[in-house]
Amino acid sequence: MGKEESPQITRRTTRSSSSVTVAKNGVETTKTSDSRPLTINELVFGENPIGLDDLLSSFPSRRAQILELVRLLGPSNSPMLPIFIYGGSSTGKTSIILQIFRHLNRPFVYSSCLTCYSPRILFESILNQLLLHRKNAANGYSSAKRCERPSDFVNSLREALSNVINNLKGNSGKSSTKNLVGRADGSMVYLIFDNLELVREWDKSATILPFLFNLFDVLKMPEVGLIFVSNTSPDTYYSSMGYMEPIPVHFPDYTEDAIRQILMKNQVNRKLYLSFLDVVLRPFCRITRRVDELSTALAPLFEKYCEPVSDSGVVPNEEMKRVLFSHLQPYIAPSLNEVFKVSSQPSPEVKTNSEIKQKGSRRKSGGCEEIDELDFHMSTSAKYLLISAFLASRNPATLDASLFDPMGGFDSRKRKRKPSQKSLEQKETVEQELLMKGPGTFPLERLLAIFQCITSIAEGSIDEEEQGDEGLEVQGGDGRLMSDVLLQLSSLCNANFIIKGGSCPLEGLIRYRSTVSEDMVMKVARSLKFPLSKYLYRR
Amino acid sequence: MALASAATDSPIQTTSETNDNNLQTFFVLHKASSRKSEKRSTGTGKTRRRIDLSPSSPKKTDKSEAERAEEWDERRYEHLRMEAFELVWSRIDLTIKDVLRGINTNVLNEIHSWVCESFNAIKSFGTLGFAEATRSFPIVAAATCKRLFTGLILTKNMEFVDDLLTFEELGLSLRSHGCHVANLSSMDFSAKNGIGGCLRGFLRQFLTTTLDAADISILASWYREQDNHDSPVVVIIDDMERCCGSVLSDFILMLSEWVLKIPIIILMGVSTTLDAPRNILPSNVLQRLCPSKFILGSPAERMDAVVEAVLVKQCSGFSVGHRAAVFLRNYFLNQDGTLTSFIRALKIACAQHFSMEPLSFILGDLLVEEKQKGEKICLLPEVILKHASQLPSYVRNQMADQTAKSLVHGFSELKRLQKCWSIVVLCLYEAGKCNKIRLLDLLCEALDPDLYISRASNNHVELDKDSGLGMASDRCKRRKYSTFQKGGIISQIVRKVRDLPAVMLYQLLKSWENITVDILEIHEKLKELQSVLRFEDGKLKQNVDDISKRHSSWSPLNIEKDSKAINEKAATLLDCLVRDYLRPMECIPLHEIVCFKNVEKLQLALIGDPRRRIQVDLLEFYKILQCSCCSKSGNVLLPSMHDTSVMYTLAQEHGDLINLHDWFQSFKTVVLQPSTKGKHKSKQSPLSKKRKHKYESENKSEASIQARFCRAVTELQITGLLRMPSRRRPDCVQRVAFGL
Repeated sequence: MGKEESPQITRRTTRSSSSVTVAKNGVETTKTSDSRPLTINELVFGENPIGLDDLLSSFPSRRAQILELVRLLGPSNSPMLPIFIYGGSSTGKTSIILQIFRHLNRPFVYSSCLTCYSPRILFESILNQLLLHRKNAANGYSSAKRCERPSDFVNSLREALSNVINNLKGNSGKSSTKNLVGRADGSMVYLIFDNLELVREWDKSATILPFLFNLFDVLKMPEVGLIFVSNTSPDTYYSSMGYMEPIPVHFPDYTEDAIRQILMKNQVNRKLYLSFLDVVLRPFCRITRRVDELSTALAPLFEKYCEPVSDSGVVPNEEMKRVLFSHLQPYIAPSLNEVFKVSSQPSPEVKTNSEIKQKGSRRKSGGCEEIDELDFHMSTSAKYLLISAFLASRNPATLDASLFDPMGGFDSRKRKRKPSQKSLEQKETVEQELLMKGPGTFPLERLLAIFQCITSIAEGSIDEEEQGDEGLEVQGGDGRLMSDVLLQLSSLCNANFIIKGGSCPLEGLIRYRSTVSEDMVMKVARSLKFPLSKYLYRR
Repeated sequence: MALASAATDSPIQTTSETNDNNLQTFFVLHKASSRKSEKRSTGTGKTRRRIDLSPSSPKKTDKSEAERAEEWDERRYEHLRMEAFELVWSRIDLTIKDVLRGINTNVLNEIHSWVCESFNAIKSFGTLGFAEATRSFPIVAAATCKRLFTGLILTKNMEFVDDLLTFEELGLSLRSHGCHVANLSSMDFSAKNGIGGCLRGFLRQFLTTTLDAADISILASWYREQDNHDSPVVVIIDDMERCCGSVLSDFILMLSEWVLKIPIIILMGVSTTLDAPRNILPSNVLQRLCPSKFILGSPAERMDAVVEAVLVKQCSGFSVGHRAAVFLRNYFLNQDGTLTSFIRALKIACAQHFSMEPLSFILGDLLVEEKQKGEKICLLPEVILKHASQLPSYVRNQMADQTAKSLVHGFSELKRLQKCWSIVVLCLYEAGKCNKIRLLDLLCEALDPDLYISRASNNHVELDKDSGLGMASDRCKRRKYSTFQKGGIISQIVRKVRDLPAVMLYQLLKSWENITVDILEIHEKLKELQSVLRFEDGKLKQNVDDISKRHSSWSPLNIEKDSKAINEKAATLLDCLVRDYLRPMECIPLHEIVCFKNVEKLQLALIGDPRRRIQVDLLEFYKILQCSCCSKSGNVLLPSMHDTSVMYTLAQEHGDLINLHDWFQSFKTVVLQPSTKGKHKSKQSPLSKKRKHKYESENKSEASIQARFCRAVTELQITGLLRMPSRRRPDCVQRVAFGL
């Protein structure tokens, strides 16, 4: 696309290309007809612009920031310096900047570094928007320009920008345009980079970040405004690389009152919700001030709260509030700790009796979390391996000999333990140390040795157990569980029960670490009737 | 064993005749599988034949006339056996697939309706036009709208293989309901390829064009372009635990940004517990998910269903013996725990059976033409009949007359008894269901021939007592019987039936009625019992009415007594069924044809135990090499032995750590033993001979011994028996002692 191409031509080409697709495919007619052919007006927000008052009222307690941003953006056609918006996640940064552009009705290019996960995709996404290119089946979902290197990007960007700006100027020159609503205001183009903090984790962050901050100087186009949005403060980016620092705008965390106002928005029964918030908001705000977290956590609680209320439009009085509170109270504390609540899906249509039965049993199993049994299947050897990994991670390696010595190991263990029980202080420090360290690492050999010990001990008991169906011992005794231990180990690793840790710095061997919780191991041990506590070294 | 050797011999003979050049390869192939002594004999036999074949041609034709006919026959039967195997296995395979599909249907339907619900929920947040949906900036909406509907599918098994098929099926079923489905696996979420590779894999499933830069916005425009953008996009991730956490969380965050534009619903397979996502994903990702859980059938349930269909109901006629069943059960419980491996084991058993049992092709015939089977068997040549009559089970039962008629009768009897057996097992299973008794365990007990024999003998004793005393009470008998196998599952079940509440007993009898429809004699007995119960049932109801009406003199004690009596009767019936009809496969004549019993073969095929094998072979290498020089030596190390074996044997004297210097010195002394060197030079095994000659000329320089030493150490390291010196102890190697 040449520089000298006039905006009219651009418009016509896009229109004709879309008409080609229409001719090709009759189905697409209905789909694409409601979307106008791509014009420069695509770059504005697109809906009816809102007034400043509406904007301010829709974002409670963000008045200062909004006014600041509007001031920084300035009147139309005035150049601006880059802006850096930062603040914790879910503090309204992205929404506010988007709504400001809706209010101003100016063209902008938005790209989130979350969606655009690599420099190439970021560059191409920006260029696509500027060149009014839309990926579709006709062009094989390809970008308008292939662009990987920053230098290429600058060239293409400059070209595209000047094109767009010319277009805008021509557009504003014409007083009579068909649709005033979607028409862009002014001749500035703004580039918004959202989720900038993610760029730091890219492979090429060392070059990309300075490049982005430097973009304003490099382009030398006064008609371009740059806006960076990030949830970390500017200090985490700048390293005095010699570029001009963007103007920071901070979005502080919401106060409790602000959160209340935000949550109150869009509520049907405001009085009822207010009484609900009176109860729950304070404890929850102590944990998190993030609106998204709060709203997801509070939604199910509010449902619970409303359960006794028959009429959704009811205005609660004191008496009723008390009743509702006492109804809700038992649910508050558990949900405070809950990040991830899995609901079991009740099947919507109940057809037959058998289905009801099944559902009931499912609920039962899902309802009580503290089932003693292991709720998934593991083979016996995998269970033993898990236990031995747990023991290897928990017990100090020096005690292995005394714990697992098959010749009267119990006696020697007791002898060993007595002196350690005497020195309580020492014990405490060791305990703290272990808590800090977490589960220990162990080499494969130690794991296998422990595994062999506990299986050889346990097999005796298994034999007794299974004497009912004699002839179960098809195989010879000790080799029974051992045969494909390494296979079991790999599947335990796959299930994240054992982590293949980094290598030992001294020997350079792979070490393992068990990450299973004690409860889980206890369950496993119980299912095997294995006396785990006997072998666990307690500080 | 004789039969087996006959079976394995047949291909050798044929090849020896047709093509002498191929003889050697076949010989070697069979050497590995069969016993040494046999191998020897067949080998010598072959050489002899070759010798007398070559000189005189008329003799050859003479001999081969008769042989060829036999040969042709054998080849034909081999072919028949192969056909029968394919037939039987295809039927088993089909049955298994059907059963598994049947187990999953409920969950699949549930998932589908949940997907529809979720889709409606997403749509309720607002419908978007084309332009809105393909724009790059997000839609300003509440956080609750941005949550991804996520179905966590608990597969209930740590091993994942069993569920590959399930997830495939899930994808198919959702696709058939009009959803856009992408099946992703943990391979797509690897840290190496990152989010880019993941997205590329994801998009490739929808778009036909190849993309060089995968970008979720492409999906948005694709989705809007499609005519049917009123159906959800479902992402199925097979094994969530194995995914790289960071890539998965990036993926989820990205999808949640776009969820209003593309209605994406995630289904994730979780093989352990619901904690797994909590362990893998950070909290800011977790709160983007709106999870629900679904539970697939547990492996034990599936196993029971498969066992019921394949081994108890006997869809194919093929069955396994007691020891094989026990082995399969132990293998499932102890080693692998997957249905896949169980099915594989079953297939191995099946294949082994058809390759080893000469008469097994009859099974195929029985399967195909149930009605014409008699005629077919009548048409069998004498040789086969002879074979059949020599089967130990046949001989044991003294069915001496070798006519085809009796054989036909034998087969039909076999079928009938098998049927009865399976019905009784099903009845027991039905009764044990409330007691959570696993069919696999029950099967093992039901197949046990020893138990059957002891049951039978017990029965005889009781009968004698009956006739002698005339008044041996029922209870006394039962006590005797049940004390005999106290821990047994069958007796447990019988006991349970005795304590069953009336309603459940009624249901149980109902289900028994359905099961026993085919066998009239059992059915009759059951009917009798049922009529009694129905009567009692009516009376029970009446009683309740009476009590409510006028507080009659009916005491609840009485009622209890009545119901107890029924329970007693049901238990007796079950007991009786067990005694009369639960006749294990291995106690039926001619069972060899349909029943696989060779556990050792199966074990060898499934549990190779390679580590142990390596170590044993290294220590007892002469058993394999069979050279004359070393076999007599006993425990004395000789220089003619293989270096690695010498080294490994020497290593046995050390502890965990082996000092390299000491080891080398002892190795050197063994290798340089002057007395034995000359003596054994001539009769060394071909492997070491070459090297020996070379070294002889070099006069066994120190360097060459060092080189051999190093080679042997490396070999031991490669086999995983040794670990190279660590930086901490540079002069010692560590033994990896395990498995022996």
